[in-house]
Amino acid sequence: MKKPFKTEAEITWCPGCPNFMILESVRKTLMNLSEQGVQQKDFAMATGIGCHGKMFDYLDISGIYGLHGRVIPTMLGIKLGNPNLTVLGFAGDGDTYAEGMGHFVHAGRYNANITLIVHDNQAFALTTGQATPTSQKGYKNKAMPFGKPTLALNPIKLALTSRASFVARCNARDIAHTSEILEKAIKHNGFSFVEILQDCISFNLETNNRDKQMYKFSQPCKDQEQALKLADEWDYDDGKGKIALGIFWQDTTRTPLEEELPQLKELLKKKVGWTGFKR
Amino acid sequence: MRLNILIGGKAGQGINKISEIVSCTLTAHGYFIFNYRDYPSIIRGGHNFNVLSISDEKISSHESRIQGIVAMDDKTIGLHEKELEQDGFSIKPDEFLEFGRNLNVALAGALIKILGIKKELLLEEIKEQLNNPESIKAAEAGFASQKEKFNLKKLNNKLTILNGSEAVAQGAINSKLDIYLAYPMTPATPVLHELASKQIENKFLVFQPENEIAVANAALGASFSGAKVMVGTSGGGFDLMTEALSLQGISEIPLTVYLASRPGPGTSIPTYTLQNDLDIALRGGHGEFPRVVIAPGNPKESAETTNQALYLAQKFNTLSIILSDKHLGESAFSFSEKINPPLKVEVKRTVPGEKVVRASSYEHDKFGNTTEDGQIAVENADNRMKKYQEIKKECEKFEMIKFHGKKDSKNLIIGWGSTAGAITDAIKGLDFKFLQVIYLKPLSNQIKTEMEKAKKVILIENNVTGQLGRLIREKTGISIPKENRILKYDGRPFRSDELREEILKK
Ligand SMILES: Cc1ncc(C[n+]2csc(CCOP(=O)(O)OP(=O)(O)O)c2C)c(N)n1
Ligand code: SF4
Ligand SMILES: [Mg+2]
Repeated sequence: MKKPFKTEAEITWCPGCPNFMILESVRKTLMNLSEQGVQQKDFAMATGIGCHGKMFDYLDISGIYGLHGRVIPTMLGIKLGNPNLTVLGFAGDGDTYAEGMGHFVHAGRYNANITLIVHDNQAFALTTGQATPTSQKGYKNKAMPFGKPTLALNPIKLALTSRASFVARCNARDIAHTSEILEKAIKHNGFSFVEILQDCISFNLETNNRDKQMYKFSQPCKDQEQALKLADEWDYDDGKGKIALGIFWQDTTRTPLEEELPQLKELLKKKVGWTGFKR
Repeated sequence: MRLNILIGGKAGQGINKISEIVSCTLTAHGYFIFNYRDYPSIIRGGHNFNVLSISDEKISSHESRIQGIVAMDDKTIGLHEKELEQDGFSIKPDEFLEFGRNLNVALAGALIKILGIKKELLLEEIKEQLNNPESIKAAEAGFASQKEKFNLKKLNNKLTILNGSEAVAQGAINSKLDIYLAYPMTPATPVLHELASKQIENKFLVFQPENEIAVANAALGASFSGAKVMVGTSGGGFDLMTEALSLQGISEIPLTVYLASRPGPGTSIPTYTLQNDLDIALRGGHGEFPRVVIAPGNPKESAETTNQALYLAQKFNTLSIILSDKHLGESAFSFSEKINPPLKVEVKRTVPGEKVVRASSYEHDKFGNTTEDGQIAVENADNRMKKYQEIKKECEKFEMIKFHGKKDSKNLIIGWGSTAGAITDAIKGLDFKFLQVIYLKPLSNQIKTEMEKAKKVILIENNVTGQLGRLIREKTGISIPKENRILKYDGRPFRSDELREEILKK
């Protein structure tokens, strides 16, 4: 029997890859949301190019399997084209923090009501394991045989300082927690950023199995200062440090982009996209 | 009758207002105008000038002979006096300095008097455009300061003034555009500004994302979810968009691009003009996929081809490019013909929100799922080419080429885009026929027949290498010899009197 929100395409991730669990978390979230009234036809996604991008083939919702690094503008466009759609983006760490960084730092201030989900495996997996901005310093890979010479980026801190109104991190292996966070992210009326730490079991093995380092916190931080401090506990470079999981920040006072633009506000009010709009 | 008046001053002083007031007054009086703008990339200071050409018959160009100078500063006189004809006039700023910000209005008033047009017409125009007591006082003082030199009697032409950018915007609005996305870049920016100013009354959206890559990808996103979308840029921004154009090719999400070219390579002389981006319009983006490239030659064609581009994009889920340049985009033209009623642009595809719809940058099967099957890859590629054949057939319904001049002449001139104005004016009364190419992709088969019929073929382009000539050689096998090419690439458009001399030398 066909599973809800699942296509019949053959899955080509490495057996045991935590991407399978991310797919399950997403399906679980979509099923919950559909029980709460969001129809399957009203979801739309954009995906990048990489192992994470294969979500496109496996998830049975509308979407664009876009270009490497361009998940954010593609999502933004889908939302401008019909603000009534529930728009999700599946992106990689290479995708978001290397190729597409120019978009990431603007998404927070735009604050369109979309949800960006980054499968952060600290590697360019599909191109066989080169270093991304979140790979740890010293990471040896085929393009850097003497190890990555540069420090890592902390995307949580970057998202916080670039005014994302919802910032969360979770562990791909923890399906219950991930889907709980995803549901909150999707329901948040503004730009939501969810960083999922995902082991790649074929490349950058050094970063795998950090579950013991991880801990969950339950309440979003009260202020940015506290959120930044929490994000600072682990800097993506070292194997030590406690990795906090949960919602770092949620600002419910912000107005989403669609409601700032009168034209889109009208589409929201009439519950139509541009095709259904009568001038 | 033909006059060319040079209006000069520092950036920020307001020379364009002089052109505008005088142009509107003249067209209301039945005279044709053409206004060329020459300005460096400076916001304040430097030297800007316009050449306002005036005629009792239709014109679409300016000339090198200058009969009058209107100067907002001394530099203008110093720089341009040598271009002035012997009995030419000049109006200097000295006696109007007291009018401060209204110096330009005073000078406009002075010019109107010299042309021999009644004061009431001037004042009507000032009231419509500025309507404040200081401006009216300045216009009256300017008018009173001069003596009539010409006597432009009222003509019965009903004229509209538009520049190429306003016309593209008009074409988009006529087509019921939903979303325009752009990142500022001269000379595409005037369309961004024009559409932005009209978005609320016409109920469409203008949005400026963080860069051209975002523009193009967001455009595909918005088009995917059902909006009729256009983006605008110039060469550098177009380069950044090309990966997304390629995504258009495989995902078949409709997209229309307004590409207004300026000189390259690099930043070059950014506020000047060149037709050097035909090659990238035809080929930008990796892989092989269909597209339409249309190059209007005047504002009426700009409005109509913008509508055609949007229509074709939706009808065939294809990429369509309107290729213009600084000269067409920023020059003002007057014309009496009506813009054709627009074709209805309809979104007929299924969109998300109706059911699950999928578009992909990978080769995909009929469900939109990724496949690496060689046979499906071949079928999809063949289908894309088949689609191009259908597009070609549809384009034949439009004016893909246009003839001007002496229709039965054996001397053929070929050109495209913004040079059409200068060429048409240059060959007035000569034994030449001008074939204006409007559709560059697909290219009309008739071009070959016309070339074969002609005794002599001359190519005229505003670029270094003759890009249309190359395209024609590729499609027809006919090469236009070097000595028959008139190519200008100093960033300035052809002036029709000079071009006429060059044509006569060939
Ligand atoms: C413009 C462009 N550059 C490079 C590539 C090659 N490429 C494909 S996937 C990929 C890396 C993906 O890494 P990431 O986004 O982290 O995804 P992962 O495979 O790790 O899930 C790259 C560089 C591409 N497709 N497009
Ligand atoms: S390469 Fe890594 S990320 Fe990609 S499927 Fe295999 S384990 Fe997963
Ligand atoms: Mg990765």
